[in-house]
Amino acid sequence: MAAEKKGLQLLDFWVSPFGQRCRIAMAEKGLAYEYLEQDLGNKSELLLRSNPVHKKIPVLLHDGRPVCESLIILQYLDEAFPSTPALLPAGDPYARAQARFWADYVDKKVYDCGSRLWKLKGEPQAEARKEMVEILKTLEGALGEKPYFGGDTFGFVDVAFVPFTAWFLSYERYGEFSVAEVAPKLAAWAKRCGERESVAKNLHPPEKVYEFIGVLKKKYGVE
Amino acid sequence: MEGKEENASAEAAPLKLLGSWASSYTHRVQLALRLKGLEFEYAEEDLANKSDELLRLNPVYKKVPVLVHGGRALPESVIILQYLDDAWPERRPLLPADAFDRALARFWCHFADDKLGPAVGAVFTSTGEEQEAAVRQVHENLALVEAELREGAFKGRRFFGGDEVGLLDVVLGCGSYWLAVFEEVTGVRLVDADAFPLFHAWLRDFEALDEVRETIPAVDRLLEYARGVRHMLLGLAGAGGAGGAGADAPSSTAADAPTASPPPAAATATAADIAVDI
Repeated sequence: MAAEKKGLQLLDFWVSPFGQRCRIAMAEKGLAYEYLEQDLGNKSELLLRSNPVHKKIPVLLHDGRPVCESLIILQYLDEAFPSTPALLPAGDPYARAQARFWADYVDKKVYDCGSRLWKLKGEPQAEARKEMVEILKTLEGALGEKPYFGGDTFGFVDVAFVPFTAWFLSYERYGEFSVAEVAPKLAAWAKRCGERESVAKNLHPPEKVYEFIGVLKKKYGVE
Repeated sequence: MEGKEENASAEAAPLKLLGSWASSYTHRVQLALRLKGLEFEYAEEDLANKSDELLRLNPVYKKVPVLVHGGRALPESVIILQYLDDAWPERRPLLPADAFDRALARFWCHFADDKLGPAVGAVFTSTGEEQEAAVRQVHENLALVEAELREGAFKGRRFFGGDEVGLLDVVLGCGSYWLAVFEEVTGVRLVDADAFPLFHAWLRDFEALDEVRETIPAVDRLLEYARGVRHMLLGLAGAGGAGGAGADAPSSTAADAPTASPPPAAATATAADIAVDI
């Protein structure tokens, strides 16, 4: 059996916001890694072996050992590389719990609601639009007056949510609303994050995401 | 040092848990508090008629459990458990020390809440072919856990946490008692000792622990409750009623479940509350 590959590798898919969380985290932490784009229509041996339970990306391989699920990967990066800038606030149990709560909220709500926005029509789509606006307002409430969800520092929740800012344009077009109108502080936060190198270098332009959704719709025969 | 003093007084602040007696998510927190030897006040919530306090403390999900510590509210059971480790690191840690092992524990906790729990709930709320499919799903999920015990990440361990129970034991264990209850009430075979010997052995050892016996309600209470809900679900389904009412089950996914023999109104009121807790 060949020796396990040393260092960090990321099994990922270019447009995945979950994968982007990991890319941004490693950029913030100054961690070098090998990016391995996966063909999700024809999953590799490596992916199936690394995440046999879910067969999904992202998967982080550290010296060959797999860590699955993006938020778990973020916490792993904090814990395995303690000398790098922390994503979860150190030494404040309540702040850590709040960060976990809001990152989990993003996981529970944003992607699924967004998918319903572009997949559905009529009444169900209107429901999804209403829900998306509520979700964005709720997240704006959690942000409050702070520059970042993490306070003065770009942290766990910021990393968890920022990839979805590339999807805002698509949500706006399909939902016929404006993020800047319904959640102006959130829109400002998105712009602020976009000025960070880790974010600018690892998110795709919103038009590209919109294009990707168009391709998905054709593929699933949604029109 | 200011920081230390703040911590000391923060730790000393009283703990209050809002929960529901039939909620496995509530049991997780009660068990974790007992394992850590932490005293707490318990407040039973009537989920068909939620208190103002609960709605104020958990406005986002309006669910139990919520742990209140020094006036600050913590919802979501797995988040609460990790908070307990962060706030009381010297008391019986629930998570292992190694970063990779922690990632594994978190992964399987998520699996429990995202896959296994809903599958078990689906068995309880369905009949016929739909139920058969749900049972197959449960078996597939249990087989994955069994494989980890047999030859994977948890090979050779008495508990998922090692010699002592840890986070994953608490998460999986508080909920697994529903397996036997549902088997009894629905008549399907869920956790065969022959098919899942290691899982079976683990569950038996888990349920024998003092702190667990203190936490999990008596099986006849659980049976009575489950029979009541199942009866009502089938009755509603029979009347061509709300398919959605099927969500309101005292499964390991049911954070919110009404007390024994709930009226149908309560069922629809709480049907919307069903969700996994991570």
